[in-house]
Amino acid sequence: MNPELILIQIALAAYWGATILSFIYLAYKDERLNRWMLNLLGLGIVFHLASFGFRIHSFWQISENRYFLPINTFFGALSYLALAVCVAFFVIESRHHLGILGAFVLPWASLSLGIAVLIASPEISGLVPALQSYWINIHPVVLMTSYAAFGNAFGVGLALLVQEYQIKSRKPTPLCYRLPSIEELDSLNYRIIAAAFPILTVGIIMGGVWAENAWGRFWGWDPKETWALITALVYAGYLHMRYMMGLRGKKAVYVSMFGFACVVFTFVGVNFLSGLHGYLSKG
Amino acid sequence: MQIVVAGLSHKSAELALREKFALLSFSDIAQKIKSSPITDAVFLSTCNRFEIYASGFAGGVDGPEVLLSFFEDLIGKTSSREDIYLYSGLEAVSHLLKVASGLDSLVVGETEILGQVKEAYERAKSEGLTGKIGNILFQRALYVGKKVRSETGISVGQTSVASVAVELAQSIFGNLSESSILVLGAGQMAELMIRHLVTKKSPKILISNRTRERAEALARNFRAVVWPWENRQEALEEVDIVLSSTGSPELVITKEMVESSLKNRRGRSLFMVDIAMPRDIEEEIHHLEHVYLYRLEDLEHIVAKNLEGRSAEISKAKEIIESKTAEISQWFKALKEGRELSFKHSDRPKAPRTAAG
Amino acid sequence: MKLFRSIRFNIILGALIAFFSALGTFFPQSPVSPNKVELYRSLHPLGFKILNFFGAFNLYQTWWFMGLLGLMAFDIVVCKLWNKPPDIGATALPPENTDEEEAEKRLSQKERALRLKPFQFSMDSSLSFDQAFKKASSFFEDHGYAVHDEFYSPSGAAFLATKHRLQRWGSYIAHIALVIILIGALIKALYGFVEMDPVMEGNAVAMKNRPWTLSVDKFTVHFYKGTFQPSLFSSALRVKAGDKLIGQKTILVNHPLDIHGVRFYQASWGAAGMFRTVTLDLGGTFLTLHQRVPKKVPGTPFSVTADILMPDFTVSNGHADTASLDLKNPAVRFLFSVAGKPTPPLWLFSLYPHVCLKESPDGTLEHAETPPFSLASVDPILFSGIQVAYDPGYPWVILGALLWVLGLILLFYLHRRRFWVLIEPRGEGETQFSIGAWSSRGGREFEREFNSLMGQMKSHLNIMEVPR
Repeated sequence: MNPELILIQIALAAYWGATILSFIYLAYKDERLNRWMLNLLGLGIVFHLASFGFRIHSFWQISENRYFLPINTFFGALSYLALAVCVAFFVIESRHHLGILGAFVLPWASLSLGIAVLIASPEISGLVPALQSYWINIHPVVLMTSYAAFGNAFGVGLALLVQEYQIKSRKPTPLCYRLPSIEELDSLNYRIIAAAFPILTVGIIMGGVWAENAWGRFWGWDPKETWALITALVYAGYLHMRYMMGLRGKKAVYVSMFGFACVVFTFVGVNFLSGLHGYLSKG
Repeated sequence: MQIVVAGLSHKSAELALREKFALLSFSDIAQKIKSSPITDAVFLSTCNRFEIYASGFAGGVDGPEVLLSFFEDLIGKTSSREDIYLYSGLEAVSHLLKVASGLDSLVVGETEILGQVKEAYERAKSEGLTGKIGNILFQRALYVGKKVRSETGISVGQTSVASVAVELAQSIFGNLSESSILVLGAGQMAELMIRHLVTKKSPKILISNRTRERAEALARNFRAVVWPWENRQEALEEVDIVLSSTGSPELVITKEMVESSLKNRRGRSLFMVDIAMPRDIEEEIHHLEHVYLYRLEDLEHIVAKNLEGRSAEISKAKEIIESKTAEISQWFKALKEGRELSFKHSDRPKAPRTAAG
Repeated sequence: MKLFRSIRFNIILGALIAFFSALGTFFPQSPVSPNKVELYRSLHPLGFKILNFFGAFNLYQTWWFMGLLGLMAFDIVVCKLWNKPPDIGATALPPENTDEEEAEKRLSQKERALRLKPFQFSMDSSLSFDQAFKKASSFFEDHGYAVHDEFYSPSGAAFLATKHRLQRWGSYIAHIALVIILIGALIKALYGFVEMDPVMEGNAVAMKNRPWTLSVDKFTVHFYKGTFQPSLFSSALRVKAGDKLIGQKTILVNHPLDIHGVRFYQASWGAAGMFRTVTLDLGGTFLTLHQRVPKKVPGTPFSVTADILMPDFTVSNGHADTASLDLKNPAVRFLFSVAGKPTPPLWLFSLYPHVCLKESPDGTLEHAETPPFSLASVDPILFSGIQVAYDPGYPWVILGALLWVLGLILLFYLHRRRFWVLIEPRGEGETQFSIGAWSSRGGREFEREFNSLMGQMKSHLNIMEVPR
């Protein structure tokens, strides 16, 4: 069997293990669970990277693909997205000791990789001429990095809703004291989005420059482009509402979650609408 | 090798008797131990317990008897032996682990006792009272105390109204050092609350009372600012936490006051605690966005639930203690046979936000 | 005007744009997929009429959608010019008039304003009032702060110290950038053009928007082995104005030719039914035929003509047709005749040598027996789809994009700090400092910095902290 697939299945198992541990950690205050979760996650990331290495190696066997990243297919894109979410979480957690948020973030990464491994086809094919550009190493990578950050912000938002609900109910469970505070979650949510929003828009602009180069137009209202713009509009609305109108807490989270719904639709749903950007079409 | 512990605690003795022991000076006791046949001892003296752990005696004496007479020696024959409990051997070891883990405390799982055990051990050691066995035992006890608290929920949740309120405030604002608190009323409850808050490094406390003098008196103690009672609505726009405990028969803060202040708060949370009877703060306020109003009974309810939750974790804690006692017993056996085992002190994980107190 | 300035109105406007943009992705758009629009028209004639009235099939070019975008651009300008953001970092200690008698009152107002700052610090020093003022401002200057808005009166002095003030302009730059991008789009809509010119290999075509002709001398396409997935296609392109050659390049996807801002893209390619030659395999011997040139089959009474090519053969309504212009299933129609008398035409396939379809005079098809010959190869004449685009707004878009990135970097990644410093004499050579601070990041990160800076300031001024 292909070593790439073996490695990615180990990574998938590790991610799911870490996810399950993160849920147990929510219920039981046992610091060992947190440590194991992080170790498992780190292990998953290492195997995932190794698998990605093998994928690049076999991708480059086709000479036209040489020195482009294999993220042109649904499999490659989902796999990269899961990796980015996990790495972002790993970095944020180790800096802020927020392992408790694992249960709110890791399921999305595990799900993403799970869909990649179980449903998407890992087949490697040659890039169509339109994708044979150095932009493929930049434009989707930048965008998916911002998606990964938004995924983390979504998890933080979920945690805020849980925390807010608990405190409003006047019957907080022990979890309430272990989750970060409402204000911290609110500002973390905001800061992740404020950091990811410029990345998202830069990614969109890069897409425009590439499109100008490949198709002769900067902007063509292709569904993928349009939905990326909608996503940016929603997050811009969030930033304005928070900064200019003082919208915070629960309602701000709802807006940011709507933004994440747009991210998911841009990433998955648009494949059923778009001809140019579809992972499912020939591109 | 004999390990014996003798002591009295809130479980075994009346407050009056415990107080007598609590008043004894450290150096007196240390002196008396040095002149007794006990060669390896640590004694623990808190307001809830007085205990002597002896793990070495000079020349074949009867350990328990030595300790009991030592107790009589300390405060005279008046104390009846029934108030004093005695454990020896592995029972004594497991008792120490229980004490360190907070299982024997009045409030199960409290963390203060671990610090007290640590201090007692370190002072005894620096006085030269301890020997090899005592050192190993107490280091082990401190490790187990930490382990139990990090691996079970025995220390989760606060157990007093004031500390629950502070912990809730932390769940809303995080580190309270940037928060400001408006205290309405200058009574005992207000003082208790401020005392809890001050340990959390809150820099900004506004005290407001109908009679300014009492507010000023309280403010002096805590480096707080006195805020004019009539301007309390203005303060509502600024502060994060409002604590009300006045004796006022009518409402001190109405919904209108909070509603109008919310406009300028730009979505910052407002945590309000009403521990007054009759109520100071209008109940409806809780339903406003970003406002969390807790009343005395809500806090009491949480205290009760936390205590319940801690008791539910006791059996898990006991399991850990049992297995660690067994380890120590292995170590003793090995020591008798002339071998020396080493304990595995696994690295302590970092607890992100552990409840203190 | 007030309406346009309100941030709420702008958010609603943004939401509307997002909503209609989303709507457009669920209907086929005629500039992108005219075939699908036609299909929709034939399936739902009434629905099509209604939707078309609102421009649902060319939504992004309708006057009302353009109007929304224009309104947004207008609003961004209005909003940014007239609205002051609720920026704590921009507020001074109030008020700023210089009436001497009012000094006392002003100072107390300053003190109250200071009380409201998120970070505060106060200390007493034994420095004289004048000295204290100088030392404090030089302290902030030494730490990279700009000191400004100084206020000085015998009863008290105040100043502001700020760092990374540029952060404040990030928002302005980013918003201006958006307007520039929209202007770029407008310029393109007014003065730009896009046209699609399919050029047969070896032919020339006149452009619609410029008096130029395009000729493709050679079109090349390579496929990934065993598939019809092209790995590369390129055209050797020449552009002439009259007789004068103005540009020449072998263009590939991602590598267009640029002539004075007019760019020539390799957009698509296909087979339109023309071919140079086909080769028939007559059981070992090969017969090469040119299109529509009859040839005798050696050793038989037949003469054969290769007639037309279907690049992606399919049967629609019983007739031969092509599903696309891609060479997915090439089929060639052969006409046979014996002594000048035609027999029914046969369709042969280069991918399926055992399949043969017979065409009856009304054009319907039926399976025929496998003939003793097969289609060995086809050498089709391909056309190259050249897209020519002129976008004079593109440099504006790029300028806007760069400004946008700059603005966002300033806005979100620069850390602006501001200190409000109030100095008051306390008699007997004592001076009291009250300091308030704000940072664009806030939170614990700044708290640490604030505390350490205040510690340094204390030791710089060599003073003891006095309880408040």
